[in-house]
Amino acid sequence: MKRFVVTSAVGLGLALAATAAQAAPINVMADACSGCHGTDGQSLGAMPAFNTKTAAELKKMLRDYRSGAREATIMDRITKGYSEAQLDAIVDSFKK
Amino acid sequence: MMKISRRTFTGLVGLAGAASAFGLVGCASGPRVVVVGGGFGGATAAKYVKRYIPDAHVTLIDGAKTHVTCPFSNTVLAGINPLSMLERNFDALANKYGIAVVTDMVTAIDPVTKVVKTKGGVSIGYDKLVVSPGVDMKWGALEGYDEAASMIMPHAWKAGPQTTLLRQQLEAMPNGGTVIISAPGNPYRCPPGPYERASLIAYYLKTQKPKSKLIILDAKDAFSKDKLFKEGWEKMYDNIIEWVPAAKNGKVIRVDAKAGVLETDFDKFKPAVANVIPPQSAAAIALASGLADKSGFCPVDPNTFESTIHKDIFVIGDACVAGEMPKSGYSANSQAKVAAGAIAAMVMGDKPAPMSAINTCYSLLAPDYGISVSGIYSVQDGKIAGIKGSGGVSPSGAPYQFRKKEADFASGWYAGICQDSWG
Repeated sequence: MKRFVVTSAVGLGLALAATAAQAAPINVMADACSGCHGTDGQSLGAMPAFNTKTAAELKKMLRDYRSGAREATIMDRITKGYSEAQLDAIVDSFKK
Repeated sequence: MMKISRRTFTGLVGLAGAASAFGLVGCASGPRVVVVGGGFGGATAAKYVKRYIPDAHVTLIDGAKTHVTCPFSNTVLAGINPLSMLERNFDALANKYGIAVVTDMVTAIDPVTKVVKTKGGVSIGYDKLVVSPGVDMKWGALEGYDEAASMIMPHAWKAGPQTTLLRQQLEAMPNGGTVIISAPGNPYRCPPGPYERASLIAYYLKTQKPKSKLIILDAKDAFSKDKLFKEGWEKMYDNIIEWVPAAKNGKVIRVDAKAGVLETDFDKFKPAVANVIPPQSAAAIALASGLADKSGFCPVDPNTFESTIHKDIFVIGDACVAGEMPKSGYSANSQAKVAAGAIAAMVMGDKPAPMSAINTCYSLLAPDYGISVSGIYSVQDGKIAGIKGSGGVSPSGAPYQFRKKEADFASGWYAGICQDSWG
C-alpha cells in the first residue's frame, strides 16, 4: 500500500511533466541531420552547431555546398541529395 | 534477472494498466510504445517517439544496463581509447524524457495479443512495437566457428568482452607475429568495419610491434571505400597489411580454434592472433518472433519500417532489410526517426511523410587520417535507394590536411550520434 502511494506520487510528477512537454515538429528529413550535428542541431563535438548562425546564413551555406561554391569535406556530397527548397525547409525546421 | 528502478516501476504500473495513477490526474492516455534494444536504433526510436508524441508511454527494454558501441571499438583494439569510452547508459532517456527503462531480456513477442514477454517474467502490452535488436553471429555458418571458438578466436563484432579479449591477444602477441582478420561476405554489420579494424591494428603494430604483419582473408573481392583504404594502406602500412580477396583464395572456409588454424581452399594459416568475423543474421529475438525471412533479416515497408510480416511492429537497424542503406549505427539512428515519425502519424491518423534518411560513416586509418562515406536515401520504385548524384566517398588523393580534418570529424560524428541517440 505504502509503495503504491509513493508510486502514485512519482507517477503524478511524470504525468505532469509529460503534459507540459511540447511535441517536437515531426520533420524526419531535418532530424536526419542530428545524427552528426546533435539533437536540434546543438552539436557537442567538432560538427558545427546550428545555433551560431541565422536561418538566412544557414540557407546560403547549404545552397553553396550544393552548388560547389563553398568547399567541404562531406557537406557537398550530402546537400546534393536535396532540392534547394528541401534544404530551406530543413533550416526552417531547426530554426522554429 | 530483471532490475527495476523507481522510475521504471512507475512506467510499468502505467503500462500494466493500473491506470488509476495516471487517470486520477487526468493525464491523456497516450499510445503504448515499446522498444526492444537500446543500441543506436532503439535508443533513438524511444527518444524520438517521446519527442513526437509527448503523451506516449514509452518503454525501452535492453538486456544490459549500458550499451557498448561498436563505432570507435577499433580505436580500443589499437590501444588509442579505453573500452569505457564506448559505454552509454540510459539515464538521460529515463530522466530527461520520462522513458521507462527495463533491464531485462525480451524472450517472446506475441504479435496477435500485442504483448512482449521477458526472461524476468514480465509481460508488457504495446500499441506499437519497435524492434531494434541488432545482429547475432550465425554460429556454425563458418565451419568450426561456434561460440566456444569465439572465446579463442574472438569476433569482437559486438563491443564489450569480445573487444577486451582481442585487445589482450594483440598486447600479448610478440613483435613479429601475424594477425589475421577473416572478413565475411555481404550482408553484415558495418561494411567498412573490418578494414578500419585492419588499419587501426596496423597502426598499433607499426608503432609498437613493427616486425609484425596483418593479413585480411576476405570472402569478397570488393569492399566499402576500398580504393581509399588501399590508398591509405600503401602510404602508411605497405609492409604490414596484406589483403587477400576471394578471387585469390582469400575466403576462409573452416577454422579449428583449438589448433589456432584457419583454412582457405588451398592454404592453412596459424597466426598469433585470429579475428574471425563470421556471417550474421538478425538477432535471435527477431528470428524467434518470426520477423525474419529466408535471408535471416527482417523485411519491412520501406516507407515506415513496419514489418511486412507482423502489423504494428517496426524493425529498424542492422536486423532489417533496408534496401541500399548499409547496416550501420547512423542508418539505425536515421531509420529510428523514420519509424518514430510514421508511428506518430499513424497514432494521429495522418499519413506518414515520405521516407527520408541519411547514412554517414567515418573510418579511421590512423588517429589523424579519416575517410567517409555518405548516402541520402528515399523510396524509389518501392525500394530504399540512394538519391542519384549525391553521397559517395571522400575524394581519392586528397592532401594530408583533408584526411586530418575528416579524422577530427570522425570524433565529432561520434559525439553527435551518441548525444542524439542516448542524450
